[in-house]
Amino acid sequence: MEPDANHRSRAMPDSAIPAADGALSAAARAMISIRGLDFHYGDHHALRGISLDFPARQVTGMIGPSGCGKSTLLRILNRMYDLYPGQRATGEVLLDGENIIAPGTDVNRLRSRVGMVFQKPTPFPMSIRDNIAFGIKLHERISRSEMDGRIEDALRRVALWTEVKDRLRAGAGALSGGQQQRLCIARTIATRPEVILLDEPTSALDPISTARIEELLDELKQDFTIAIVTHNLQQAARCADQVAFFFMGELVEVDRADRMFTTPRLKRTQDYITGRFG
Amino acid sequence: MSQSVRTATWPAAASAGGARPSGFGDPLFGLLVRLCGLLVLLLIGGIMLVMAFGGREAFSTFGLGFLWSPAWNPVTNRFGALAPVYGTIVTAVIGLLIAVPFAFGVAFCLTEMAPRWLAGPLGTAVELLAAVPSIIFGMWGFFVIVPAMARHVQPLLRHSLGQLPLLHTLFSGPPFGTGLLTAGLILAVMITPFVAAVMRDVFNSMPAVLKESAYGLGSTRWEVMRLVVLPWSRQAVIGGIMLGLGRALGETMAVTFVIGNTNRISASLFSPGNTIASLIALEFPESAAGSLKLSSLLALGLILMLISFVTLFCSRLLLRRGA
Repeated sequence: MEPDANHRSRAMPDSAIPAADGALSAAARAMISIRGLDFHYGDHHALRGISLDFPARQVTGMIGPSGCGKSTLLRILNRMYDLYPGQRATGEVLLDGENIIAPGTDVNRLRSRVGMVFQKPTPFPMSIRDNIAFGIKLHERISRSEMDGRIEDALRRVALWTEVKDRLRAGAGALSGGQQQRLCIARTIATRPEVILLDEPTSALDPISTARIEELLDELKQDFTIAIVTHNLQQAARCADQVAFFFMGELVEVDRADRMFTTPRLKRTQDYITGRFG
Repeated sequence: MSQSVRTATWPAAASAGGARPSGFGDPLFGLLVRLCGLLVLLLIGGIMLVMAFGGREAFSTFGLGFLWSPAWNPVTNRFGALAPVYGTIVTAVIGLLIAVPFAFGVAFCLTEMAPRWLAGPLGTAVELLAAVPSIIFGMWGFFVIVPAMARHVQPLLRHSLGQLPLLHTLFSGPPFGTGLLTAGLILAVMITPFVAAVMRDVFNSMPAVLKESAYGLGSTRWEVMRLVVLPWSRQAVIGGIMLGLGRALGETMAVTFVIGNTNRISASLFSPGNTIASLIALEFPESAAGSLKLSSLLALGLILMLISFVTLFCSRLLLRRGA
């Protein structure tokens, strides 16, 4: 794919300061590379000149006050914005070197490679088993025994198997909120994506369920590249390897999580993480 | 004007110390609105009673056999409900078979496919279709659809589907243009907007995050509709279909124009027939007061009302549970 000159010239806007010495990205290949990304909701310029790498098999946390554009960015990565009229993205979002926001991208295939988990658990009105099988059936034709294996595997990985193995045929709506959210994560990983997007996945959950999801992220990053939007700075500090701070549609600073929360380079970042605004 | 009203009322209210005006006003108004509510019940009960009372002679003469006798002979005074009931149900079912997929397509297009500039006018057009008076559909059916059916559709069906072993009887007989199939077709056009409007509202009431979750797994629009939206809204969709069925059962004018008005039960869909409503509309003026024929028509009316009530009741039940 040939990136055009206009995008190239905007690849590194002044507002985004790349990781200090590349220590992070040196170790890990970038699974997703965003270059010069702009996003509009109608007349509203929601993201400006974003350039950001998501290292493979690491957790990238996105923080910032409400309306700063972090959720918008997440919804670009699986082209969810396509569902709504008047929203458009320009620039480059490279997934394995392929610009996914270019017209002609197969969005159904893209979404099978980039899964998403939402703020509130969204189990489908069907059984636990069928919820997991749903995504697999969309993309693969597999035997029943293989399907059972995949379902068990997905549920084990989110530590839900022992809790639900005796009632796989029961409706998913009967599970608790935390269980439903883990079911949604299992549903997402069952299709074997490469990237998992999480949009404030614990904001509707109690502290214990939240802790379990956070532990889960630590295990999932062995196999998946994870991008998580969160309002909870402690959560970002606990879970993320890399943290990106957004403000008013711009990427202010991105760095390793430990450095970001101890020695941020910009005053605006420091003000936000010390609670002076936001 | 408003000034004078104000000066006239405010001082009076002030002098009463803000107390509400007493007297007969409140109880009287309360009584009036209660009467309005009661009147609806009285009306519906009264209509049913009059139908039952008017039809008593038919029921006492023919007994329950009235329901399954195919006769309708004013000369020998033999009357039965079977032919018009058959026509009513067959035309309504044909109407549904055509209207439901059509309405689903309209609703699917409106909620998932159409860009906003198209969805608005299209939705309005669907609502306008529902507002077309049935006499217009009758005339359109008579002048446009009947000749088209006779010349093109019925010969085509006879030479295609009519050649298949099981469907052979359905599509046989002379292509008059009128008949059960044509009536069903007109009914389909008439009930499509009702069914489509219900489906559209139900589809739109689906939580957006649930749809996004399905899209997020890589579903196509059709997969989201088939696997998530339809199962989620099944009850309400069936309720909407029953609503259309209720309308198809009672439709009179448009059907009378195109059904052929013959008291006959035939397996062929090309055959002319009757519905309860069209039979009553045609025969009523020619029935002498106090005659057995008039009584039979009123008994038919009672049967139609009961069928419609049951349908409407089921639809309400499903719509409420679906919501």
